[in-house]
Amino acid sequence: MKRSTALPVAYTVLRVLIALNWAYLAVLIAILGGSLTNEQWTFRALGVPVSDQTGALVMGMRAIAALGILTVPLNLMMLKRLVAMVHTVRAGDPFVADNAYRMNTIAWVLLGLQIIGLIIWSIGKAVSTPAHPLHLDAGFSPAGWLAVVMTFVLARVFAKGTLMREDLEGTV
Amino acid sequence: MAIVVKLDELLHERRMTLTELADRIGITLANLSVLKTGKARAVRFSTLEAICRVLACQPGDLLEYAPEQRADERAHAA
Repeated sequence: MKRSTALPVAYTVLRVLIALNWAYLAVLIAILGGSLTNEQWTFRALGVPVSDQTGALVMGMRAIAALGILTVPLNLMMLKRLVAMVHTVRAGDPFVADNAYRMNTIAWVLLGLQIIGLIIWSIGKAVSTPAHPLHLDAGFSPAGWLAVVMTFVLARVFAKGTLMREDLEGTV
Repeated sequence: MAIVVKLDELLHERRMTLTELADRIGITLANLSVLKTGKARAVRFSTLEAICRVLACQPGDLLEYAPEQRADERAHAA
């Protein structure tokens, strides 16, 4: 079989994403920490002057940052499992029970991320005002929900494939 | 598994070794050992045919259904 370049590329991309995920955590901690220790300066830097009118917006942004922090371990769970799956493909043995479990976990993580995205969108919608609109790249994503369904289906495909391979290996 | 493979008994009756049978039917010794020790999950008809041809026996001489064996295994597992 021709050696594919997709796997080394996927491996590198996943490693970069893991590093970016840690950077994302550092930024969120800095924002959340700054919003608690130096509220005026942090929110001015974010373009939201702290006043009686922006109290709800400030609290909403803190909640969104906290939810953002919650997504970091979820992202890490998903990315680490994908790295492990790439390793099994590289080793030439991807149809193993571990990969079926990994795929299933990834599906649940994706579902969790979609739900957190909806919560973030709801908070943004609730605290956004005409004077201080909050534009968030979150909310209902048909592609995201399709990915959840597809990953659950693929997890089942992996589980069945693993059983079929075990049967084949035990066939004399 | 409630299916018992009686390859050992047949080989003993025919005064044939597992290696010799493996050579004659063109199956690796490792695979034939899996069958002999009852660790196989499935047997191809082509394998069954080859064994029956070389050992001059019927599939029923090679395989036996023993439900009590399955019960024993379950008891061990529990």
